[in-house]
Amino acid sequence: MAVANVSSHDVEHHEHEHHDNFITKYIFSTDHKMIGKQFLVTGIFWALIGGFLSIVFRLQLGFPDMNLEFLRPIFGGWIDNTGKLDPNFYLALVTMHGTIMVFFVLTAGLSGTFSNFLIPLQIGARDMASGFMNMLSYWFFFLSSVVMFCSLFLEKGPAGGGWVVYPPLSALEQAIPGSGLGMTLWLVAMTFFIVSSLLGGINYITTVINLRTKGMSFARLPLTIWAFFLTAIIGLLSFPVLFSAALLLVFDRSFGTSFYLSDIYIGGEALPNTGGSAVLYQHLFWFLGHPEVYIVLLPALGITSEIIATNSRKPIFGYKAMIISMLGITILSFVVWAHHMFVSGMNPFLGSIFMFLTLIIAVPSAVKVFNYLTTLWRGNLRFTPGMLFSIGLVSVFISGGLTGIFLGNSAIDIQLHDTYFVVAHFHLVMGSASFFGLVAGVYHWFPKMFGRMMDEKLGHIHFWLTFVGIYMVFFPMHYIGIAGFPRRYYTWTEFAFSDMYTDLNMFVSAAAIITFAAQMILVFNFFYSMFFGRKASLNPWRSNTLEWTTPLHPQHGNWPGEIPSVYRWPYDYSKPGSKEDFIPQTIPLSATPESNLPHEEKLVNLEKEIIAEEGQILVANETKEES
Amino acid sequence: MEEKLSYEEGAVQPLSMHPKKFALWLFIVSVVMVFASLTSAYIVRQGEGNWLEFNLPDIFWYTSAVIILSSITMHWAYVSAKNDALDMLRLALIITSFLGFAFLVGQWYSWVALVDRDVYFVGNPSGSFLYVFTGLHALHLISGVIFLIIVLISSLRYKIHSQNMAQMEMCVTYWHFLGALWIYLFMFLLLNH
Amino acid sequence: MYGLLIAIGIVLLLSVIWMVYRIQALISVAKGSSKKIATTSNKVNAILMMVFLVGCTILMVWYSIKEFDNYQLPVASEHGVITDQLFWVTMAVTGFIFVLTHILLFWFGYRYQYDDNKRAAYYPDNNKLEIIWTLVPAVVLTVLVFTGWRAWKDITAPAPEDAHVVEIMGYQFAWEIRYPGKDNVLGDYDYRLINANNSRGIDFTDKNSFDDFPSQQVVIPKGEPVLFKIRARDVLHSVFAPHMRLKMDAVPGMPTRFWFVPTKTTTEMRAELGDDEFEYEIACTEVCGRGHFSMRRVITVLEPDEYREWVSEQESFIKRNPDLISDLPSDLKELAEIYINESK
Ligand code: HEM
Ligand SMILES: [Cu+2]
Ligand SMILES: [Cu+2]
Repeated sequence: MAVANVSSHDVEHHEHEHHDNFITKYIFSTDHKMIGKQFLVTGIFWALIGGFLSIVFRLQLGFPDMNLEFLRPIFGGWIDNTGKLDPNFYLALVTMHGTIMVFFVLTAGLSGTFSNFLIPLQIGARDMASGFMNMLSYWFFFLSSVVMFCSLFLEKGPAGGGWVVYPPLSALEQAIPGSGLGMTLWLVAMTFFIVSSLLGGINYITTVINLRTKGMSFARLPLTIWAFFLTAIIGLLSFPVLFSAALLLVFDRSFGTSFYLSDIYIGGEALPNTGGSAVLYQHLFWFLGHPEVYIVLLPALGITSEIIATNSRKPIFGYKAMIISMLGITILSFVVWAHHMFVSGMNPFLGSIFMFLTLIIAVPSAVKVFNYLTTLWRGNLRFTPGMLFSIGLVSVFISGGLTGIFLGNSAIDIQLHDTYFVVAHFHLVMGSASFFGLVAGVYHWFPKMFGRMMDEKLGHIHFWLTFVGIYMVFFPMHYIGIAGFPRRYYTWTEFAFSDMYTDLNMFVSAAAIITFAAQMILVFNFFYSMFFGRKASLNPWRSNTLEWTTPLHPQHGNWPGEIPSVYRWPYDYSKPGSKEDFIPQTIPLSATPESNLPHEEKLVNLEKEIIAEEGQILVANETKEES
Repeated sequence: MEEKLSYEEGAVQPLSMHPKKFALWLFIVSVVMVFASLTSAYIVRQGEGNWLEFNLPDIFWYTSAVIILSSITMHWAYVSAKNDALDMLRLALIITSFLGFAFLVGQWYSWVALVDRDVYFVGNPSGSFLYVFTGLHALHLISGVIFLIIVLISSLRYKIHSQNMAQMEMCVTYWHFLGALWIYLFMFLLLNH
Repeated sequence: MYGLLIAIGIVLLLSVIWMVYRIQALISVAKGSSKKIATTSNKVNAILMMVFLVGCTILMVWYSIKEFDNYQLPVASEHGVITDQLFWVTMAVTGFIFVLTHILLFWFGYRYQYDDNKRAAYYPDNNKLEIIWTLVPAVVLTVLVFTGWRAWKDITAPAPEDAHVVEIMGYQFAWEIRYPGKDNVLGDYDYRLINANNSRGIDFTDKNSFDDFPSQQVVIPKGEPVLFKIRARDVLHSVFAPHMRLKMDAVPGMPTRFWFVPTKTTTEMRAELGDDEFEYEIACTEVCGRGHFSMRRVITVLEPDEYREWVSEQESFIKRNPDLISDLPSDLKELAEIYINESK
């Protein structure tokens, strides 16, 4: 009763709700679609900044003798009189690049965009459980962005201790200038970011559990929604821990406590702190940090599952296995954190335990890859840009995932830890894979977001430049890493063992610049198509999921009439017997007798009953409401 | 008709809770994670040695009693609301808020007691952790008291009664949670200080 | 100069893309944008997948073989031989899977490109397959982990009693090295004792410190166990000796350790590589500030008898700088002076 009540009530409600003014429509909007777009545009902005920073430090690494005078207008005093980058600023660049990419682009820009945009549309809800909280979530993110952005322009530079901000380096201003105000702003920004993530995550979980439309059981949820749902759960459990870690760090920095600090002599004086433990911070940080990498990755995997199935015109292979492996990843991601700390001085016995746990997590990842491959097998593949990026994701996920097997083996990790091998690993498996997921999602859902198509040819060119580009950037890093080149080095010429590969580093930097430049194609395509793109049809990819049953420009409330009911899982592509090669979720089984499988026949009768009742209920409610 | 309706509901909405209540539970989960991580950090750090030993302030026993009492009065408020005993509801809410306030004052005196024993926020982490636990819990309790006052105001406006319990129920849940959280922290400290 | 070139390159690239875009847009307008799915561009993409597969495989194989001697660092410790072996075994296993899955991925892309006359197979699941490809990776991984675990257990086991102790202390931005002297026991230290004369904070009231001596290099004997005792004075650092396959963080307030057995003297390694300049090196691999990239120290591996000779030539801290014991209580001071005189 409640259900029918709510929806029939909403119908009337939404019919006269279309007079938003500019502010409520584009700025303080509570419409999940607009909030999703806000996250997306902010994410694109950050991606450009983060990418630009990486180009600057790649210039330093690839062309150490280059005169960077031309950057002085932007970086001012950080370029010295001989045109060289300041080493402290180099570290600040690396730190900011990491923070921005991991949190602002691949967490907020990816999960924020697509969880917001797709959850209500794909589960059949009018909006998120709380539109207001959702709006707050974006604006906390915005605030966090503003603070982080301002920190880039501080006189002493932004935080510079690496994106993991290990104390004591991040706690002591004497150790590096970025640990002054820059680090303070970093912590403030991250606190806002945590609040934003929690508000968003709580909303996503509540919405998925409580606001699914009729018939949308968990076994009929698209894999995108499963992915967003599990991502939100991971975030809910791990971000509070980052908050704890940051809180104690704030106390150490500003109030003189000794949670992480002990026995330090710096700048000519012995500090009073004793009894703290620097390794404690690492435990707390990585308890978030490892789940965070899956927060970044899972939405991308969900998006590609959907896109690959649609464009292979085939059901995703092993729907259940996909869900089980995502569940496995979710759970396991909380018990592997210390694999980042094999040589931190932690008890080696703990190291053994975490080695075993870590390699278990490779199994569900492998299962997912095999399922993707089998989905492609005997499909009928359409290479839309979204599809190409999804295939690209599978490729980089394999490449990066396999190197995880080296790193998860603590004996091998002794040599590889904090070398470029790790950099190659996570840029492929996390950076590139999630970025590909993000881009694939943009190409695929652009017609739903803006009612227009992005240009396909440009998309193809963009894909091939990017795909070749990122391999040219990150594949060579394996060689450099095996050769032992450490991370976060301003230059490698100080050591004989790493005073080589100048050619390879130059190549990497050049490839990075080209790849970054190629992203301008996407930016152009995105903004150009937003206004001048070809008008989209209602269901351009001939897809099964619910979002394509909305009008071209859905209003706040998504469906003008009643929310459609769902009668089947989202992957009925190329079902034998059916005329079309797709059957949307809203088509009852009883309407497709020609293609039903034996066990579905039994469901048909049940379904008929429900449909018959539906009519009655509506009538009943209407009379009730009038009275 | 009624029968069919419930069938309909059961078939399509396998799990459905008031979304705001559900969100509150999720919020509680995240608060649990904050304290779980801090108490784990405490244990990890304690295991490394160099740990200042001191006795917990006795006042914790009193504040614990106060907070348990406040949970009881909160329950009383809940029952009253359910029975539409509005005056009783208001009284119970006022008493609960007052007890919450008393708890906060008590916690403040526990800090005074700590300072008397030369245990400061800045110093050995064993003391610092204690301040962080109590301080962070107190912050949450303040938010609980504010919530109580909001509920009290709605009850004065006749917005809370047996047909409109959502806000009340959320407040009850949150308040009991804060009580349980403190009892957990206290037990934890008793066992591990 | 470079900047200009790059800028020009970018501009050129952008303008090419712009041209392609315009031309293509015009053509599609002229043709009348078709609803067909199996377009030429679909075919082109499918072909590009094969091109990518073949091209990248050739590139990868060629470069991996050509550069092998460059990226494969010579190994000079006992456990390093084992971990290298593990590394290459893992490389073989993962390399096989890497190539196999990529062939499948791109071949499927090419083979099953869209065709209007065909239909995809409706193939939603197969539990047997799922179980197979859960179990096979699980078993393979278990084997890999197990071998890794055995190596890890040995590497992190307590050092043998007779290991030569060397203390390495990281600070911004260098390493300080201390040897325990004849007794093979390092004297105590306390960070509050650090001053200009005593950069390591050695506690000279501890008699064990009397024979401790400093060194500019890490000098160790070949074929005998060596124990690095590692600590840090200000922020985190990490001792990384790439040829020894050794890495361990240096943590303020929490001493760490790593023991190993070097297998080749510096001289031997020079001969092997044909490089007279070769030195074993220590680098820092935990970001520690401005000079992180320049914390270099040299390790010299000597034959055991050469090593003993070298040790006997070293002068202890208190002998180098008698001021260090000037503040000691008189009885200790006497002892220290006796020590100094004896070793003359
Ligand atoms: C196949 C399963 C995987 C295994 C066994 C694995 C293992 C590891 C290990 C042991 C490290 C630490 C290396 C070191 O610092 O020495 C590491 C680093 C990292 N991994 Fe993975 N990984 C896997 C998959 C992933 C995935 C799927 C992601 C992201 C979505 C990811 C993201 C990262 C990141 C970001 C780091 C580096 C963090 C840093 O130090 O800055 N890994 N991985
Ligand atoms: Cu990890
Ligand atoms: Cu360092």
